[in-house]
Amino acid sequence: MMNRSYYWLIVALSIPAFVWLVPTVWMVSLSFQPNEVLARTTSTTALGLVPIPFTAENYAALFAFGQTPMWFLNSVIVAVGMTLGVLAVSTTAGYALARLDFRFKTPITVLCLIGLMVPEQAVFIPLYTMFADLGWHNSYHALILPRMAVPIGVFLMMQFFKAIPKDIEEAARLDGVSWLRIFWYVMLPLARPAMMTLAILTFLYAWNDYLWPLVSAQQKEYFTITLGLASIQSNFAQSEGLGRVMASGVIASLPVVILFLIFQRYVVQAMTVGGSKG
Amino acid sequence: MATRDKSSRRFLSEAQSAWLLLTPFLAVYALFLVYPFFRGFWISLHDWNLLAVAFNPDAKEYVGLRNYERVMWGRNIEWGALASPALQIIGVLGVVIAVFFRRMRRMSRTTAIALGVASAMLFLLPGFHPGEGGRWFDRRFWPTVGNTLVFVGLTVPGVTVSALVLAAALNRETRAMAILRTVFFLSQVLSVTVVTLIWQIMFSPRQGLIANITEVFGGSPIVWLTNEQFAMAAIVITTVWWSLGIAMILFLAGLQDISRDLYEAAALDNATGLKAFWYITLPNLQRTITLVIVLQIILHFQVFGQSHLMTNGGPNDTTQVLVRYIYQTAFRDSELGRASAMAVFLFLIMGGFSIIQFLIGREEDR
Repeated sequence: MMNRSYYWLIVALSIPAFVWLVPTVWMVSLSFQPNEVLARTTSTTALGLVPIPFTAENYAALFAFGQTPMWFLNSVIVAVGMTLGVLAVSTTAGYALARLDFRFKTPITVLCLIGLMVPEQAVFIPLYTMFADLGWHNSYHALILPRMAVPIGVFLMMQFFKAIPKDIEEAARLDGVSWLRIFWYVMLPLARPAMMTLAILTFLYAWNDYLWPLVSAQQKEYFTITLGLASIQSNFAQSEGLGRVMASGVIASLPVVILFLIFQRYVVQAMTVGGSKG
Repeated sequence: MATRDKSSRRFLSEAQSAWLLLTPFLAVYALFLVYPFFRGFWISLHDWNLLAVAFNPDAKEYVGLRNYERVMWGRNIEWGALASPALQIIGVLGVVIAVFFRRMRRMSRTTAIALGVASAMLFLLPGFHPGEGGRWFDRRFWPTVGNTLVFVGLTVPGVTVSALVLAAALNRETRAMAILRTVFFLSQVLSVTVVTLIWQIMFSPRQGLIANITEVFGGSPIVWLTNEQFAMAAIVITTVWWSLGIAMILFLAGLQDISRDLYEAAALDNATGLKAFWYITLPNLQRTITLVIVLQIILHFQVFGQSHLMTNGGPNDTTQVLVRYIYQTAFRDSELGRASAMAVFLFLIMGGFSIIQFLIGREEDR
């Protein structure tokens, strides 16, 4: 395969790949340029794609007196909380539905999977009124709880547990080990790759979700970084300076991009599952 | 053995364990998905002002289906076969294609039925229009649905075609190809606010990279986001850039399933490159292509952030989309009843496509 046409293909593909990369590179580059320069022109060096004149001022300002660090922390709390919550309810329910026998198993499985059809946009208004009645808005649990009810995780774990051979369980049963112990000591360790995929899927979703935080968090103290960034981008030029807004964008993207570059295989898998089922 | 029997009696039975493990999920599921889902229907049957009901829970009034009428219907509504010819002709064509390809056995039953039904709707629904002296009760609703369809109609083919071409080109296990795949997938993990932040400034006529490039070539910059002709295009471009990754990955997964032998056999007949793509890749990828298209329709029909953050639905409502209209009706106009009726409408469309997706996913290869 390593013939001339292969190298031509690489060269031909590099052009769209470069175009694809340009917007992201541009954001990073602008975030390292002084605001006074950006107010005049965004194309100082190589159309602005190279950060000369260079400054790290924007990032320093961000951490000194912006709200970005607080929003970032909120996002971490919400994303980690949601991930742990989803893992807990999904692995347990997924195992029960895949491996245990009980009455009403089929109707309950069907009931859970029907939920895959319900988009977030179809329930966000009633959820809003419910949480308002409970006085729960502007809190971490308001941001975390609704997503825990989404059955995609149960579906994913169920598929995984179904594929594990039965004899592992049966051997343990013959030794008189209880179902809960089998779940905890035998099944969970086996499920680590699937849990990893689910964890990444949930974390990405939590980090990037916009609609529910927009509705639920009205106080700036409970904004996630995704929501906070939306709130400053409308008036970026006047108040904050383009460079600083771009620096916020870079900070907001850093965790998911790092996650992606390290766990690329899991991320691709997670997004494929998430994309095709929920 | 005796002790073991005794101790095993202390254990929970299989069914008890199952219920114990299921309870946490079922609890959150019932509370935060099943209940809100039905409550949404219930709200849609009421005249329900967000602020009034917040102060006084009895301030809502049961109005039956009137919200649906106020959103979707009007006075003196008539139906005509050529009320909006372009859409209706596409609808007729769709039905013809579905019947024809099914007859030729080039299309599976589910796909044909789905395409047929969707096309028939496209013929029927745009036929409704206000007759003489009539008008829609809500002038903005159907144009908003139309904008959403235009967005979907431009984004889905854009993403599908480019992702398919890229996937076919990148389907090789070499290091360079892996890096290129990473590049094309990277934008997918960014959040909608980062994406709109980048592209808002990319499209800016004064500071934008696109304007800067146009100026290098001596052109005058386009005012993308506030121009009625270009605003939708700008949002579509942004979305294609953002969401190409998933489609590409799904196509790559589908390509893995096509046997190498087919290509080798084809190569003997001098079918390589484009020819092989046309005669082998495409036919064998048919199911994946349908699945990706349905998936994209579901995904992009829910568009919100791009329109909300980049253009505010403007200029002149040309980029107003359904979810943004629901959001505004609920949280700016405080009309939860009407907004919920629209949300039910959205759910029905999404639900229809989810069923198609499920059926295609389950369908055996013919």
